[in-house]
Amino acid sequence: MLDTFAWWRGIALMIALLCGLSLVLPLPFMNEVVIFTIYVVGCNFMIGRLGYISFGQPAYLAIGAYSTAFYLFYFGSSPLVGILFGVLGGLIGSLLIGPFFVRLRSDYFAMVNLALAVVVFYLTEKVLVSITQGDNGLWFMTQMTSTPVLDLTIPAQFLVFGIIVTAFVFAFYKYLDGTIYGSCCLATKLNEDKLQFIGYSNFSIRFLGFVIANTTTALAGAMYAVYLGFVSPEMGSPSRAADPIIVTLLGGVGTLFGPVVGAIAYTGMKDVISKLIGNWELFIGFLLVFIMLVADKGIWGTLEPILTRVVSPRSRNTDK
Amino acid sequence: MIDAQLLISGVIFGLSLGSIYFLLAIGLSLCFGLMRIISLDQLLYYSFGAYMAYTVGLATGSFWCGVAAGTVVAGLMSFIVERFIFLRIYARDPTFSMITSFGLLIGGIGIIKFFWGVVPRPVEAPTLIQANVFGTAVPVYRLIVIGFAIAVYAGIWLFLHRTIVGKAIRAAIESVEHVEGLGINVSRLFTITFVIAGALSGLGGGLHAPLIMVDPMMGLETMAFVFMIVIIGGLGSIKGTLISALIVGQVVSLGSIIYAPMAQMAPFVMMLLVLLIRPTGLYGSPLYKR
Repeated sequence: MLDTFAWWRGIALMIALLCGLSLVLPLPFMNEVVIFTIYVVGCNFMIGRLGYISFGQPAYLAIGAYSTAFYLFYFGSSPLVGILFGVLGGLIGSLLIGPFFVRLRSDYFAMVNLALAVVVFYLTEKVLVSITQGDNGLWFMTQMTSTPVLDLTIPAQFLVFGIIVTAFVFAFYKYLDGTIYGSCCLATKLNEDKLQFIGYSNFSIRFLGFVIANTTTALAGAMYAVYLGFVSPEMGSPSRAADPIIVTLLGGVGTLFGPVVGAIAYTGMKDVISKLIGNWELFIGFLLVFIMLVADKGIWGTLEPILTRVVSPRSRNTDK
Repeated sequence: MIDAQLLISGVIFGLSLGSIYFLLAIGLSLCFGLMRIISLDQLLYYSFGAYMAYTVGLATGSFWCGVAAGTVVAGLMSFIVERFIFLRIYARDPTFSMITSFGLLIGGIGIIKFFWGVVPRPVEAPTLIQANVFGTAVPVYRLIVIGFAIAVYAGIWLFLHRTIVGKAIRAAIESVEHVEGLGINVSRLFTITFVIAGALSGLGGGLHAPLIMVDPMMGLETMAFVFMIVIIGGLGSIKGTLISALIVGQVVSLGSIIYAPMAQMAPFVMMLLVLLIRPTGLYGSPLYKR
């Protein structure tokens, strides 16, 4: 399953898919999909590789977004440096939080993350009102200067930038899967005792994975901030904690390209359904229950074996 | 620093809040201890209990009728959910049940919005009399809530220690296989426990309704606190749940007297400290891995 395609072929296919879709579909939709994909990649890595389910992804998203926003609102004006600050903020945040969280069992981990999401939400909404401006949010759309090659303040060029970043993120995760570290991650999910017996430290593997995944999430937050031109506590609202998990499950847990497929399907459904009925939670909730009960392999998890057979018939017996 | 009257009313406030939290957390804790599921949908029964207290209380004119209706409806709902959904996922990983029940919670919020709309609803307390406790005027209703929690704790204790079903449940928490081997219908034990948990959550919601505004998001807002309580107490321990519910209630209440925004933060800091010292919570069992 891990080496379905030669790594570059799979990524090229995904990028081609994204580019092809952006010719057909409206621009805001595609920007949403691209950012959402990066957001979900981190969550997917944690569920599929580390065996940790986190209900607190909005917290890390908000950390990234607010790091970017603070820079763009108070100090500088370059969106690229802003994104860099967002990633840095996410890195520092997860380095600080990680050691406490990865010691926990996976069910405790999920709950503690949810609690973290609530705390970050209250921090941004109430406690740090003097610098985050509470519910009003930070607006810096007009303060951003245009960047030389790709102008991030223009949505069309932001999309190109987003696709490039997505390609890099995928290449990085594909590379991780191939390394010994990637195998260790999978092993810590499947059987931590054996891994410890061989001589690896579960703690450091999980800690590194936690930092990688949440830095990716913070990157998505930073890109949201730059794309929208403002941040508000609503972005990190705990009531949206299920979104990345739903998309991960929809796409297929632990598959590399599940997040893209899931993000396209989810954003598409959200657009279609929110036009038809206003009651969005009802649908999402029962979709989640349905996926868990019936189709826990997800869209990409079902499609991948079929695609593999079509693209390279010889590898049929060797995969998995 | 703080004058005595403020302190006493703060302590009573904390106790009543802790009592509500205890009613909710005990369901989560029992479900985890016996079935190894994390049942976030308890928060849904809590919301339904509160909405029933509002609707039935308004229709019949009696708040206590509303609370009783909320408890019954919550119990019925949990019975249906257990039969149709949780029955299929007991064998799977606990995190699996967590996602499913979170989906139920979100979907249930959608149902609530569909029936009652998004506008917060006020529920009138059944009694507005103030009692005199150590020279401080305290609403009697809060004392009643505390009384309910004590009665429930005593009832649960008697049920688990004095009845044959309760003893079977306690044995099944230790080892499901052995209990099944003795010819006890474990599946029925699961249903009984789940319905008790759901009904208690409904009761908690009904009792909480006059103290807050009833709105669709109340389940999500309370979830974080209930979680902290279950984590601090240790999953699966009833004594731990009671103690940590009382502690968190006091921390929230007294914290808000000292510095208002701290009420939201202090329990989290406390939880981090507890988990740093004991990763399984105060009374959590270390026997269960991942």
